[in-house]
Amino acid sequence: MWPQRMELVCPAGTPATLRAAVQAGADAVYCGFRDDTNARNFPGLNFSVPELAEGVRFAHGLGAKVLVAINTFARVGEVDRWRRAADAAVECGADAIIACDVAVLDHVARNHSGRVRLHLSVQAAAGTPEAIGFYARTFGVRRVVIPRVLSVQEIAALNRAIDVETEAFVFGGLCVMIEGRCYLSSYATGRSPNLNGVCSPPEEVSYDEDADGMAARLSGFTIDRYRPGEPAGYPTLCKGRFAAGGKASYLFEEPVSLNAGSLIAGFKAAGVTALKIEGRQRGKGYVAEVVRAFRSAVDAVEAGGDAVEIDRLLAAQSEGGRQTAGAYRKTWR
Amino acid sequence: MPPFALTLGPVFFHWPAERLADFYRRIADEAPVDRVHVGEVVCGKRMPFSDPCWPDVIERLERAGKEVVLSTLAAPATVRERRSIDELCGDGRLVEINDITALPARSGRPFVTGPFLNVYNEVAAAFLAGHGARTICPPVELSLTAIGGMAHARPQVEFEPFAFGRLPLAISGRCYHARLHGLHKDSCQFTCEKDADGLAVDTLDGQAFLAINGVQTLSNQVHAFCPEPSALAAQAVRRLRLSPHTCDMVEVAGIYRALLDGRLEPQEARHGLSRLDLPGTMVDGYAHARPGWHSVAAAG
Amino acid sequence: MVAHAQTMNAELPAFVRRLSPAFAALPLGPALTLSLRALARRRPAVFERLGEFRRERYFIDPVDLGFAFTVVPDGERAQVSVARKGEAATCAIVIRGPLLALLALLDGSRDGDALFFNRIIAIGGRTEAVVALRNAIEDAELTPADFVGLDGPLARLADAGVLGGLDMARRLAAAAPARAGREP
Repeated sequence: MWPQRMELVCPAGTPATLRAAVQAGADAVYCGFRDDTNARNFPGLNFSVPELAEGVRFAHGLGAKVLVAINTFARVGEVDRWRRAADAAVECGADAIIACDVAVLDHVARNHSGRVRLHLSVQAAAGTPEAIGFYARTFGVRRVVIPRVLSVQEIAALNRAIDVETEAFVFGGLCVMIEGRCYLSSYATGRSPNLNGVCSPPEEVSYDEDADGMAARLSGFTIDRYRPGEPAGYPTLCKGRFAAGGKASYLFEEPVSLNAGSLIAGFKAAGVTALKIEGRQRGKGYVAEVVRAFRSAVDAVEAGGDAVEIDRLLAAQSEGGRQTAGAYRKTWR
Repeated sequence: MPPFALTLGPVFFHWPAERLADFYRRIADEAPVDRVHVGEVVCGKRMPFSDPCWPDVIERLERAGKEVVLSTLAAPATVRERRSIDELCGDGRLVEINDITALPARSGRPFVTGPFLNVYNEVAAAFLAGHGARTICPPVELSLTAIGGMAHARPQVEFEPFAFGRLPLAISGRCYHARLHGLHKDSCQFTCEKDADGLAVDTLDGQAFLAINGVQTLSNQVHAFCPEPSALAAQAVRRLRLSPHTCDMVEVAGIYRALLDGRLEPQEARHGLSRLDLPGTMVDGYAHARPGWHSVAAAG
Repeated sequence: MVAHAQTMNAELPAFVRRLSPAFAALPLGPALTLSLRALARRRPAVFERLGEFRRERYFIDPVDLGFAFTVVPDGERAQVSVARKGEAATCAIVIRGPLLALLALLDGSRDGDALFFNRIIAIGGRTEAVVALRNAIEDAELTPADFVGLDGPLARLADAGVLGGLDMARRLAAAAPARAGREP
């Protein structure tokens, strides 16, 4: 498996972004339907069934794959809706379904085996050989998106212990909590990634100006405050500033994003099959720019390029906004 | 009407072995609970401290007629943590699974699934039942109605809503106690031990919001779901889970026992709980399909 | 990024601003309403993407003009009106910022997120409606010709003309002294 070229998997929140990502050099794009069957269920985002079919045609025409995320947990009594989403993805010609719920995995394994690959979503939080082996044996899962809590060394050890492909997040938003195991959003807002496909949903967000500047609130809870003119952020719960133990701090995580560009060669050596860029909610201009840069960096790594060259290719991606290599470096913990 | 059962879930916090021993001694002798979970769930690094106390605790509980469940880690990562799960899964007692890692080792023998396992629908419940799940404590964000939907569809499995305690909301690879004290998880100095109910996390505007417990994030507020027994029965639910805190858990169990036996009205039960030394105000939103921090019963 | 922020943050040069109050007297609302409806006839998917939010009233407030707009982007029933600054309270959503930034948002040349997080545009009211609008515009790949309903070579000419004009206005604005009170 190792000599294989690493695959670059890129986000597509809309058809326009899908086209932009494919044209910028994505090996595969991932997207979801315009409902709560996918974990980026934001207003105005995602695909209708005809749009997905058209997107698949476009991507396949340029040699790129389309992975469809059906990565929320089916609601009691509504499992059929998630099954139908999987059926629709297969009908559209999707190359893989990214799922986490046993109900979806089981349905695809039983009915579409051979027509579509199954990838285990990061929402399933499978990070041990035992868990991954279980999903592989039971449902024929071919690839696991690894939870963002493992270091590169641990990923290497994991790859030696499993016989399915791994996909690692390399750039974009960063969940600090183990994904699929976090209910912070529903605690504050009533809506969560697992159930509704949203975290810190926009309808619960308010930006309130007062004498001290601006407060970003979620369902009335102050997530951060900004002085007049200070760059603001979206009030994502785990990136907020809170008071604990007598001091105010970004207790869980600073408002940073993930950039593991400098670790691409490390991922390659660790046996990672695919590198994933996060950001289905991001605009096409942004996605195209990031994909282009990572395309050239991955190609350079594959061609044996050195670290200086990789850094140069990704330089523009590390400007503006604070970044971290997250759990890939052990000191993050 | 068949009786309702009460479970005492695992202690989430880093209590010293002595405190654990004292706590379970009292539970064994005085608490009207049927089933008691023991073992470390949140952080594998704590296990060397608590491990030595468990044999005595288990013996004591079983002598007192309690059914003991061995809880396993929610986020195993190291070889040692994975091995601990494997060993516990070999035990003849009931085991609580909090990560799929434990499933292959336990499949075919009876187990409980804890609130860290994603069981959101009747298909997932049936799947786990097929592997041996006997009791399912669903994710805390599910409403009683949603749990009832699963319970009606899968009468062979017992459903156990999380009814009392700070809500386990998230688990991370990063230790927030260590981070708050400028340390890393790998050399954390076990600062989480100082906060026996978790450390309060407030917003910048002084609103009580969350609590941290090492790698775990909980609600600041205490979920205190006190339903009419008939409301539980209507959802085919016959068991509730109480989560340990430093407040008088024997008293908490007594209040829930009286509530389920019909000797206390829900508002009397809530009043009784509110007089204890709880770490936060009482909420019950999740049970009513509302945001978790809402307090529906208090408003009603 | 910082350079963009500066450009976008700039207000219209004073001489352009002096011209602007006269616009308010023009029948701008009906003209914009018609062009939005024409767009909806040609590109209905753009409006479908808005979902339930197409029936919301958006208050678009270019801070460097003497008037504002209200927009109900309901496809072929779309409605644009010129409004007084004080009418924001009648709308569920308020989007406020320099005219050039708002136009950049519309033609997709600048990402709404970046404009907002750099405090160049401000939003109020139903955040989810703004997110929906931003995502719909993102996917639409609109050009000025889309608004005036042109096709083919004429459309390309119009695009070049309007975008060229916008570019020039941006350059003018960037050259003007930066607005006080904000150090990027």
